[in-house]
Amino acid sequence: MAVIELKDVKKVYGKGEAQVVALKDINFKADKGEVVLIMGPSGAGKSTFLTIAGSLQKPTSGQVLINDADISDFSAKKSNELRLGKIGFVLQAYNLVPFLTVNEQFTLVDKVKKQNNLSKAELQDLLKQLGITKLLRKYPGELSGGQQQRAAIARALYANPEILLADEPTALLDTQNVEEVGQLFKDLAKKRDKAVMLVTHDPRLEKYADHIYEMMDGTMTKKK
Amino acid sequence: MFLAIKEIKHEKLRYGLIVLIIFLISYLIFMLSSLAIGLSSQNTQAIESWNTQRVVLNKNSNINMNQSVLTKEDLKNFKMTKKDAVVGELGIVAKAKGHQSVSAQFLGIKKDQFIYKDQDLVAGKKAKKTNEVTVDSSFKDQGYHLGDKISLNGSSKKYKIVGFVNNAKINIAPIVYSRFATWKKLRMAAPNVAASAVISQNSKLDFNYKDAKTYSVEKFISELPGYTAQNMTFDLMIGFLFVISLIVIAVFLYILTMQKMHNFAVMRAQGIPSKTLISATISQSIILVVIGVIIGLILMWLTALLLPDAVPVKFTPLIALGGTVGMLLMGIIGSLIPIRSILKVDPAKAIGE
Repeated sequence: MAVIELKDVKKVYGKGEAQVVALKDINFKADKGEVVLIMGPSGAGKSTFLTIAGSLQKPTSGQVLINDADISDFSAKKSNELRLGKIGFVLQAYNLVPFLTVNEQFTLVDKVKKQNNLSKAELQDLLKQLGITKLLRKYPGELSGGQQQRAAIARALYANPEILLADEPTALLDTQNVEEVGQLFKDLAKKRDKAVMLVTHDPRLEKYADHIYEMMDGTMTKKK
Repeated sequence: MFLAIKEIKHEKLRYGLIVLIIFLISYLIFMLSSLAIGLSSQNTQAIESWNTQRVVLNKNSNINMNQSVLTKEDLKNFKMTKKDAVVGELGIVAKAKGHQSVSAQFLGIKKDQFIYKDQDLVAGKKAKKTNEVTVDSSFKDQGYHLGDKISLNGSSKKYKIVGFVNNAKINIAPIVYSRFATWKKLRMAAPNVAASAVISQNSKLDFNYKDAKTYSVEKFISELPGYTAQNMTFDLMIGFLFVISLIVIAVFLYILTMQKMHNFAVMRAQGIPSKTLISATISQSIILVVIGVIIGLILMWLTALLLPDAVPVKFTPLIALGGTVGMLLMGIIGSLIPIRSILKVDPAKAIGE
């Protein structure tokens, strides 16, 4: 059973002559323990795919299944709960809350989600794996790009999601950091049993992927 | 609350400036309210100290004790009780050698009536002889002493100050109390003049005969020269200040919210509910107002302590409470303005930016 599956998903923006078809009959699946790359040029529909897979917006038609449950018609509140519990986001500019220290980013999660977050020991283990154990008292503005990236990953994984969605996770990193982050995503998928979906146009990440999907003009084809 | 406190701690300068504005507005509200109450109190101090309920005046006096003359004929049927006292009022200028002139109100009162009996002396004794006076304690602040001899309206006749009285101001002027007979002499009153007014502690008094008419104390106070206009001016200024504080808080929070929209979108994408963000905004507003108002209260308290007695500032617990509640209310209302924007945050906007 795929942890996330999109069936015949279509997304249309606007009406009449202004209508834009952002996604055309997308079929996609990812399972735990896999790193899946969604690649393609700007404007191909990658971000729209990510927002629909991440329950940030609804498809115009088709189904989005998470653990076989259709989330396409979820209310805003249920989508919110789903994102909080099942989906971790790592966004393009890392997007940590700027006025919270790294440690307080986890406290914020504790404030809104009381159960099933990582235990102290699990968090320590994760921080160690990410190499950021000494940065807990730092604000995002005091961290380098690579450190922010790792902190954002820790933040996304703290709520113990099954799916990790990353939007252009290497856009601001140099080659050495890209290699490290690529390996990290692979380790997270394998060792922590997460479905890791990376939306990117960075070919340097291809070698870490189990599956690669290519997007072009709203259509998706499986490359690997 | 967590997000609100953390953000304020992290953005000290930004939120410090907002607190500064709130503090200045609340300080101004406290100062103006204290001045309004202080001035209002100086208008009515004596009237309140007498526990006045009703006032009998000449109906043609425009409800002004200074202009009122009640004749013996007007009061022919008036049955004096221990709750009633006649007063004879006269505007005067008092001066002792070596002292500044003081514009005052001369009140002639009778020894066997409650105003004389209930005088709240801070020093000295009550005036027994016709050439003795007791004066408001503000005379003391102007350097007058017990035993000083004052002349009234520049006449050669001298009156000895034998006592200082608390709360003895009417229409902002300090009162010079003396015997009723002295008032009659000073006023050069015709034999048929009985008094300027009858002050009564009897709330049911309703004596209307010939030119005598009874008024409620509220009506009497509201007709004190300048009293209503002065209070309305202060009320208007204080009201405007509350409105300005509402606009300032709302505008600041709105601008800050707009600047944080991307952060909010990111948090919403991560599953942080809208209600957490809304409660953070409201809490933030309350925290800022509380800090600003507390600083305003402390500074106002110090100001009231340090200002000379001549400045009619009366900072009461009611002003502190009213101002604080008013500002908190403005803060809460102001924080509701950006809520619509927070509710409209699209978490999908966090992607691709």
